[in-house]
Amino acid sequence: MIRVLVIGAGTMGRAHASAYAVMPGVKLVGIADIQADKASGLAAKWSTRAFPSFEEAVQELGLAGIDVIDICLPTPLHKEYVVKSADAGKHVICEKPIARSAEDAAFMIRYCREKGVRLFVGHVLRFFPEYVKAKALLDQGSIGKPAVIRAGRGGGYPIGWNDWYSDFSASGGVTLDAMIHDFDYLRWCFGEVERVYAKGLHGRHQAQLDYALVTLRFRSGVIAHVEGTWAHEGFSMHFEIAGTKGVIDYDSRTDTPIVYKSRRRSETVPGVIVPESPLAQSPYYRELAHFMSCIQDGSDPLVTAEDALEALRIALAALSSMSSGQPVLIDADSGALVGAHSYRGVMS
Amino acid sequence: MKIGVISFAHMHAFSYTKALLQIDGVELAGIADTDAERGAKYAEYFGTTYYPDYRELLAQGIDGVIVTSENARHKEHTLAAAKAGVHVLCEKPLSTNIADAQEMIEACKASGVLLQTAFPVRYNSTVIRAKQLVDDGALGRILAMKGTNRGRNPGGWFIDPALSGGGAVIDHTVHVADIMRWISGAEVKDVYAEVGHLISEKPIDDCGMLTMEFENGVFATLDCSWSRNKEYPTWGDVTLEIIGSQGTISVNATSQKLHVYTDESGYRHHAWGDSMDAELIRDFISAISSGAAEASVTGEDGLHALAVAVAAYRSSEQGRTVTMQELD
Repeated sequence: MIRVLVIGAGTMGRAHASAYAVMPGVKLVGIADIQADKASGLAAKWSTRAFPSFEEAVQELGLAGIDVIDICLPTPLHKEYVVKSADAGKHVICEKPIARSAEDAAFMIRYCREKGVRLFVGHVLRFFPEYVKAKALLDQGSIGKPAVIRAGRGGGYPIGWNDWYSDFSASGGVTLDAMIHDFDYLRWCFGEVERVYAKGLHGRHQAQLDYALVTLRFRSGVIAHVEGTWAHEGFSMHFEIAGTKGVIDYDSRTDTPIVYKSRRRSETVPGVIVPESPLAQSPYYRELAHFMSCIQDGSDPLVTAEDALEALRIALAALSSMSSGQPVLIDADSGALVGAHSYRGVMS
Repeated sequence: MKIGVISFAHMHAFSYTKALLQIDGVELAGIADTDAERGAKYAEYFGTTYYPDYRELLAQGIDGVIVTSENARHKEHTLAAAKAGVHVLCEKPLSTNIADAQEMIEACKASGVLLQTAFPVRYNSTVIRAKQLVDDGALGRILAMKGTNRGRNPGGWFIDPALSGGGAVIDHTVHVADIMRWISGAEVKDVYAEVGHLISEKPIDDCGMLTMEFENGVFATLDCSWSRNKEYPTWGDVTLEIIGSQGTISVNATSQKLHVYTDESGYRHHAWGDSMDAELIRDFISAISSGAAEASVTGEDGLHALAVAVAAYRSSEQGRTVTMQELD
């Protein structure tokens, strides 16, 4: 039995808690959030304990009562809580982006290694079956050699705790917070990125809007265009992979299996439209179950903390290109952190 | 009114000529083509005279000419028409380089003939509606745009740089660059592009991703790749996403279509929207008959769009952002 403590009862905390609650071999031992009512509401839903802070959770549950700490907090808090979790000697799952800066990300990876705990980063796109299927088709050579890729995601402007998304130095805007999913996925499919060119609304427009267009050139020659939007209504994501012998495309706006439209007037908005993509196991469940099995048998995850750092470096290169108005090269010798370690399964 | 067509090298010649014949009072005076077989074939199809030499066609006392020759021959044909006092509708891109385009513009001005660049997308009803929404203030201030003009590799002279001036970038940049200028009312300030030869067997740029900054601070990207394979349900697309301070517009100029599935040809789109080519030709004819001082889409418009493609090539060669000023 792996005992998991979730830190943060926001959107990601809710998604993770609901996955752990029904996962065989896993026990959700508690949810901590400084917004005590949020923690208790979520804890009640999954019949687990609520705590008003990380420290109280650790104290109450005892070090022996926790195996994994899952950090679902805003980006600027990741480092502090990853360090706390590693200090407690617990394996860590951290939401993406791993950090706001490459230095922090590298520090977190090093720190966890030194403390002998594992660090997993929630790049959940690698567990979305539509993205997994596309990569499988690509790898089978269904569309020949890949050439031009378009990807993107977004919706409305996110409202988080303390409005932290609006603080660019904390969130990095849509580029660092949302497009990093696509950067990781594209790197998974097409290898290392050589250079990045980007434009974004940050610094151009004061209202709560963000929109960014990023072009990636891979070492393989592949060209990818990534759109990130916090300027549209309703979440959507899409990709198109054009190769020498065919095209694969997907758009959540049009490939929608179920849409609920209410005629009932709610207190907030009339006629809410709620699209869903029902799966027996959500992508979050698949991701977290995979991390649990890596912890159990000591195997390497499908997406490593080093991959998360590389995705972050692409996002940071995009932000840097937005400021300079010139392409930014991703230096080739960044692989120093990769693959220099192994872990023993501690649950065996 | 007598109108001639110089060359059927570009396939648009067919729909343009068809559109000509539907206009009352317009007479198709003849088709000139250096390819005798092609010229004779279309002259017969459209019931007109074939001229092996375009100079002969221009000497028939015609009012206007449609130049649909290979890009590199636009200049020769346009200069000859200007000299003969014949109004010109020139296929896009206006030319293969800036100097030639400027010479064409000046020659037409000096002779007092119209020079219209054939940008059919300007006449697409959906694009016109988007422009109207923007002009009505529906978006507030435009902040960013994202466009695509993807298609199949047309092959033939299109992939011979000596005749085309380049591949996908020169072929497919100009339509949407023109629409972006038209809708935003601003000129492009600088261009960055990733250009590649990634799909075709023959060496030609078939993939292009441009990023543009406009004088008014709007930024935009444009995918001009020949990235549609032969089994893709349609030839390609023209799309434009416009992000404004008060809203967004998503334009798909070819989405007025049926989805058709046949055992013979698989899945195909069949368009049912208005014909933008017909509107384009009607506009050229009406500019001539009304004695307009300028075409509604000018040679300068063609030059501005061409300059974006030229800047894209230079950016790709030099790996940096290229300002439009550098091109002067």
